[in-house]
Amino acid sequence: MSSYSKEVIADLVAGTLPWPQTRRIMSAYKDDDRFFKYVAVLQDRVGWQDRILLPVSDHLFICESAEGRVTKCECGHSFGDYRKNWKLAASIVVRDSEEALREIYPNSDLPDPEWMEIREFICPECGTLHEVEAAAPGYPIVHDFEPDLEGFYRDWLGQPLG
Amino acid sequence: MLDKPASALRIRERLLESERLMEETGCYDGITELKLRNQDPLKFETLHTKLRAYCVSAREMARRISASPGVREVGEMVVAIYTPEGDAIALSNGIMVHVHTMSRFIKWMIREGYEENPGIRDGDIFANNDAFIGTVQVPDVMDVVPIFHSGKLVGWAGAVCHELEAGGITPGGDVALAQERFTEGLFVCAEKVGVDDELRRDYVIRCERNLRMPIYWVLDEKAKVASCIDMRESVKALIDEIGLDSWMQISKEFIEEGRRAQLARTRQLTVPGIYRGHTFYGHVTAGKPGYQPLGDPDWLYNMPIEMEITTDGKIVMDFEGTQPWGYHSMNCTPAGMDGGMFVTLTQHMNFEGLVNDGAWMATELKLPAGTWTNPDNEMVATATSWALLLPAYGVFQRLLSRSFIARGFVEEAFVGQVNSPMIEMGGTSQYGTPFGMAHFECAAAGSGALAIKDGLDTAYVGWNPESDMGNIEIWEQNMPMLYIGRSIVPNSGGAGKYRGGCSFLSTWLISKTDHLRLVTSEHSSRVFDNGGLCGGYPAPTCQKHRAVRDSNIFELAGKGEPLPHHTGTNPHRSELEIRLEGEQVTVEGPYITAPHKTGDVFTHSYNGGGGYGDVLERDPVKTAWDVENGFLTPEAAEGVFGIVLDEDAEGFPVANLEATKRHRAEMRAARLARAKPVSDWIASERERVRAADFAPEVKKMYASAIRLSPRFTRDFSDFWGVDGKAAFGVE
Repeated sequence: MSSYSKEVIADLVAGTLPWPQTRRIMSAYKDDDRFFKYVAVLQDRVGWQDRILLPVSDHLFICESAEGRVTKCECGHSFGDYRKNWKLAASIVVRDSEEALREIYPNSDLPDPEWMEIREFICPECGTLHEVEAAAPGYPIVHDFEPDLEGFYRDWLGQPLG
Repeated sequence: MLDKPASALRIRERLLESERLMEETGCYDGITELKLRNQDPLKFETLHTKLRAYCVSAREMARRISASPGVREVGEMVVAIYTPEGDAIALSNGIMVHVHTMSRFIKWMIREGYEENPGIRDGDIFANNDAFIGTVQVPDVMDVVPIFHSGKLVGWAGAVCHELEAGGITPGGDVALAQERFTEGLFVCAEKVGVDDELRRDYVIRCERNLRMPIYWVLDEKAKVASCIDMRESVKALIDEIGLDSWMQISKEFIEEGRRAQLARTRQLTVPGIYRGHTFYGHVTAGKPGYQPLGDPDWLYNMPIEMEITTDGKIVMDFEGTQPWGYHSMNCTPAGMDGGMFVTLTQHMNFEGLVNDGAWMATELKLPAGTWTNPDNEMVATATSWALLLPAYGVFQRLLSRSFIARGFVEEAFVGQVNSPMIEMGGTSQYGTPFGMAHFECAAAGSGALAIKDGLDTAYVGWNPESDMGNIEIWEQNMPMLYIGRSIVPNSGGAGKYRGGCSFLSTWLISKTDHLRLVTSEHSSRVFDNGGLCGGYPAPTCQKHRAVRDSNIFELAGKGEPLPHHTGTNPHRSELEIRLEGEQVTVEGPYITAPHKTGDVFTHSYNGGGGYGDVLERDPVKTAWDVENGFLTPEAAEGVFGIVLDEDAEGFPVANLEATKRHRAEMRAARLARAKPVSDWIASERERVRAADFAPEVKKMYASAIRLSPRFTRDFSDFWGVDGKAAFGVE
C-alpha cells in the first residue's frame, strides 16, 4: 500500500508538487494514512492551536475550540457551531446587475440578473472568498455539507473524536 | 435452435431469484463469499482482464466498420458483456454511460417474456433506442446478442453507438425541437432485428427509408453486431477453457467484487454525511419557429441535489425539489439517470477494483415521480436529456469532490463537468445529396478545475472520458461547412485559484449548398448551468449564437482582406460584425432558424468548466502565460484575478509581483467594504420573496417545485420565514 511523507502531502495540497509525481500519486493505490498527514499539514499552516477535526473547504475547517466544535476560517475567525450553516454567519456580495456580473465576466455573454445572481460568501475578518453560489433570485442559501463527524471518526478512522 | 437458460429456471424466474437473493443477503445474486477469487486471486484478476480485453478489442474493430465520424473519430461507442440476467460483468472504454442502460434493456426483455415471444435464441440480434426501456435518448441505439454455450443461455454481449442522424423533426440525433416522443425520430423498441447473426433486410429497409443519412445508422448496426459476435465467440472460447460452472460462478463474483470495491472506495476516499448543491438551466424558445404551443416556451430549471454518504459506504442521491417534466426534449428517464451515475462513478471512484454493474449496485438514486428525472408520462421526449443530465451530474461531481477534499485526497477533487452544446444539421450536402448529421466536436469541452491545478482545456466531457474533438478535415468531408476558425475562448473557464479549463469556438463558412438547416441544443440560456467550488466562480456558459447571412466573405477573400476567424472578446460587438457585411444574427437559446446557404457564416462555442478556490490566490506567473497564450484576456487578469502585467522587451506579458500584491490588497479591502452580513441580506430579501417579486419564469420555477415537493416547500419557507405556498399562490 502507498504511503507518502508529510512533505510530499504538503506540496500536493499546495499545488506545488511536480506534475509527474502528482500523476504517479493519482495513478497509484491510495495511501490509507492520508487523512492524518493531511490534517497535520493543515494544522502547520494555520496560525492557531485549536485541533482541526475536518477540513470542509480550501480555507475552512471544523475544529475543537474553547467554544466547542466550530467552523473556522484559516485566519482564525469562527463561524460558530459546525452543525449550523457557516454561510449564514459570513459576509456576502451579491452580483445581481449586469454591471456587477461584468466585473467577473468582462468578455462573455452574461446571465440575465432577473434569472440568476452570483453570491460570494466572504470571511468578514480576512476577506477570503470561501464559496460562490450561482442561484436564481430568492433561492435559499445552500448548506453545503453536514458531515457525520462522529460516524467518520468512530467507524472509518477508528480514532477517538474528542 | 437452443433456448435454455444455464439455470434450470426460466430466465425470468432466474432474474427474480437473483433480485430476491440480493434483497435477502445484500450481496449480488446471493454471492456472500468470493470463493473463486479467494481460491486463486491471480486467476480471478487475469480472467477479468481477459474479458475487458475482449471488450476493448471488439470496440476498436467495430469503429473501423462504422462510417460515422462520431464513432470512428470521437469514439461514440461502448461495448459490454453481461450475465444472463443482464448485469454488466466487463466493459470497454468509450461512452460508459450506456453500460447500465443496456442492462435495463436486457432486463426489460426478460421481464416482458421475450423468452416465449419473440424467443431468445442463438444468433438473435435485439435492438433498442427507447429511453423508457433502457437508453438515454433516441440516437443511442443499442444492440445485444445472447450468448449460448452447451445449449444454455450464459450471458449477453451488447454494444451502443450514438447515431449522428435519428430521423426526427429536425435533422441530427439530439433533436432539440422534439416536444413529444412522436417527433424524436425512428424508434426501435426492444425489437428482434436479426436472426442467425444477420440483420433482417426489412429492418434495414425501415432504417434506410426513415433516416436522412442511413449510412451512419446501418453501418453502425453492422459494427455493433460484429463487435457482439466477436465478444460472444471470445466468451464461448473462454468457457471452453474454464468450464461452464466456473463461468457462471466467476461472472457473478466479478460483479459482487465490483460492488464491494465501490463501497470500499467510498469508505477510503470520502467522509460520511449529507452534501448539498444545485445548478440551473435556462430553456428559452419563445418566438422560435417550429415549436408547438404545448406548454410554456421559456423555462428555468432548478436542479437541487442532496447526496448522503452512509457509514457503510453507500452513496444515495436525491433529486427532490427539481422541476416537472415538460413538453421539450430535455426530459430524462430513470435509465438515463442511472447512466449518468454509472459514468461518473467509473471516472471518479472505480480506478481500482473491477469496473462493472457492481458499482451501480452500491448506490441509490431517488428520482421523484413526475419530475424531469422520472417522468410519469412515457410520451415525453428525451432527445436532449443531456441538457439537464450533464449539469446535474456536474453537481454530483462537486459533491463528491468536497468529500475528497475533506478526506485529503485533493488530487481527486474536480469542479465537475459542464454541458456540451451540440450542433445538428441537415439539408443538401456539398455533394448535392440529402444529408443529416450531428457534429461531435463537442466531445472536447473544458473541464472544471481541480483542487491542485487548472482544469483541462478543450479535453474533457463527462459523457465520454475518451474525449476527442475529431479532425477538422474529417468533419469537413461530412458537411457543407468549411472551418475558417477553431479557437480557444479566452476566460471561458471559471475564475479561481485554479481556473476551469477553457473551451473553444468554431467559425464556419457555409459552402456548396443552398439548403443547410442548423439546429443547436444543450446550451443553457440566461443562467450558467455549472458552478465553482471552494470560492471558484462558475464558467460563463450561456453563450449566444452569432451568424451572418448573405455575407461578403467571398468578396473579402478575393481582395485578400482579413476574415473573421472567431467572435473576439468584445461581447457587445463581435468580430463578425467588425469584419463582415451582411445580415448580422444573434440568437439566444436553441438555434432554430430558416436554412442557411453558401456564403453565410456561423459560429458555435462550447463550454469551459468552473473554477476552484479564491481568485485572489491565483499564481501571477501562470496567469501571464495564460494571457500570452489566449486563455485569459489582460482585462480579466487584472480586473478579476488582480494580477498586474507588464510587458517584456519582446512585448510578452510578465507578472509584476509587487504591483500585484498591492492591487490584490486593494481588491480584498474593496471586497470587504462592499460585503454585508448575510443576516442583513436575508432580512432585506425577505420582503421580495414574500411578494414573489421575480421574473415570471422564476416565479413559475418556485411554484412548480413547491407543488411537487413538500421538502422543498418546507426548506424554502423555513429559510425565508415566509409561507412559500402563499407567496407563489400554490394551493
